[in-house]
Amino acid sequence: MEMPSLYLFLDPYLIWFYRLTGQTGWNFLIGTSVVAVLALMVGEFTSFLASLMVRRHFTQVAGEAKKYQDLSMEALKAGDRPAYEAANKLANDAFNKSFFMQLALSATFFWPIFFMLGWMQERFQGIEIPLVVVPYSLGFVGIFIILYALAYFLFKRVKYRLPYFRRIKGILDANNLQGGNSPALTGVQPVPARPAAPEPGGKG
Amino acid sequence: MRKKGLVILGVLALAAVAATLLWAAPAYASKLSEALAKTPQGVGPGMINPGAPKGFMGITGAPRHFFLFYILWGIWVGWIFSSVGAFGGIMAGVGHISVFGLSDYASSFKKTNPGLNKLMTDAIRTSNQYLVGLSALISSFTYYRMGRIVLPLGLCLAIGGILAGYLVPLLTVGEMNVNLYVGFFGIIVFAVAFVLFYETTPKGQNKKKAAKAAAKAFEEAHIKKTTQVSAEHAKGVQVTHWGLSKISFTFYGQEFSFNPLWPLLGGFVINAISALIGVGGGFLYVPFLTSVAGLPMFIVAGTSALAVLVGMVVNIFNMMVMRQVPVDFLLISTELIGIAIGSVLGPVTSKNIPEIWLKRIFVILAVYVGIGYLTKGFMGHSILPGM
Repeated sequence: MEMPSLYLFLDPYLIWFYRLTGQTGWNFLIGTSVVAVLALMVGEFTSFLASLMVRRHFTQVAGEAKKYQDLSMEALKAGDRPAYEAANKLANDAFNKSFFMQLALSATFFWPIFFMLGWMQERFQGIEIPLVVVPYSLGFVGIFIILYALAYFLFKRVKYRLPYFRRIKGILDANNLQGGNSPALTGVQPVPARPAAPEPGGKG
Repeated sequence: MRKKGLVILGVLALAAVAATLLWAAPAYASKLSEALAKTPQGVGPGMINPGAPKGFMGITGAPRHFFLFYILWGIWVGWIFSSVGAFGGIMAGVGHISVFGLSDYASSFKKTNPGLNKLMTDAIRTSNQYLVGLSALISSFTYYRMGRIVLPLGLCLAIGGILAGYLVPLLTVGEMNVNLYVGFFGIIVFAVAFVLFYETTPKGQNKKKAAKAAAKAFEEAHIKKTTQVSAEHAKGVQVTHWGLSKISFTFYGQEFSFNPLWPLLGGFVINAISALIGVGGGFLYVPFLTSVAGLPMFIVAGTSALAVLVGMVVNIFNMMVMRQVPVDFLLISTELIGIAIGSVLGPVTSKNIPEIWLKRIFVILAVYVGIGYLTKGFMGHSILPGM
């Protein structure tokens, strides 16, 4: 594959983060953290970009699944079993379409993870960090996954303070797409149930 | 209820991982390096050519293509996912098996180093799983957030899934040569072809029309009657009976019941397919539960999502960590770039191409691929070209 030349281009910049301190262990953790954060940021960027491009179609597909799902619930409430089964079948069909569309969109989020793991595979294949409790060791993939997960949950809290994501959130909000989260990651949300009206003269 | 379900299923997944750690032997050396060391060197088939450029999994002399080729195939896969659906996973597998030449390359080691043949089979399976299964996980997780959970249903699915996720890699990693894998893949392709074909038949089309008519009739009859949520409806899922042969629950004032054996078997079979072939799995839970158990999509989607999560965790952990199946991350990343592009193109073209014609084309393609892979797998050679 010709891609390794791309890795050769990126290598000096990425490996710099692995040489910041004099300690091998800390270097590896810091470097891998930076690589994980880079993968996360690029994934979030491309995911939101893709969501903007397909928001109308996605809204339509997800909307159909939601419509029949809500209808099946209404039929259940009304005790109409045949109508429930009909609406449930249609909800199922629409769900499949929406599911696969989200599946494809998820690739816009995941590809940087594998791209970075590919670079780490070239650099750190065979490196193992022994675990304390059990007689096993953790390779570069395990460490990357742990640091990526940490970065994901931390970034989630500060994401909308960044201008780019705040702007995209506004656009997606305007399309009524789950408070601005990428449809690739959030999917369809149900209509909240209305509380029962208080009975006249009752203790409501 | 949702938090409780999440905690219980999370504990189950951790228990499965811990059990795997305790009972499996560690593999200290790289499986790939060991296998390559045992392979004769040279330029003939079934040999490793040390002077050749690196290809798949960094093996010198392995198939290698210009990176754009992988992206283009990924675009095809992503386009299918966002236009029609299930068939995209099949095409992802076809790419790994036939288009990139990986199965023929793996087959060449059948006589010179059967171990490498089997290792490459496992790598192809795991690559399929990463490409399709991981994304299905995200897709499922969104439905977990939207739906309710039926705890006993989720438990049964998860237990079946964990068993499959543990047993299938245990029994098959390092044991399956590439032809056998291709044969099984062909069987799955035929199953998908059958489902797609049924949806294009007059019977399949009429069933959908009848359902739409019934749903529309109900909608129009009730459009002015805004049904308020009563106290009974607001309770959500309430489990009323736990039993070995029957579990019952109420939802929106209606009673539902199921035999726990069905979701247990279903979870096992679905995750076994996912672990064995690498495609399928996530999307099968919801149709299985709505069709076989007649459960509402609203609660099935959320419940099955957790089963997918648990199954995927066990599958990937077992394959990658415990069995140490090597994976070519660069290949997967270039394919994912293509799928990402295809996911955006699909909505653009779907306006102009009727879905039923797409399905008809894919049925023909699926039958072609199915016949090719079945004959290649179980007869040793494909009777159709290109497979």
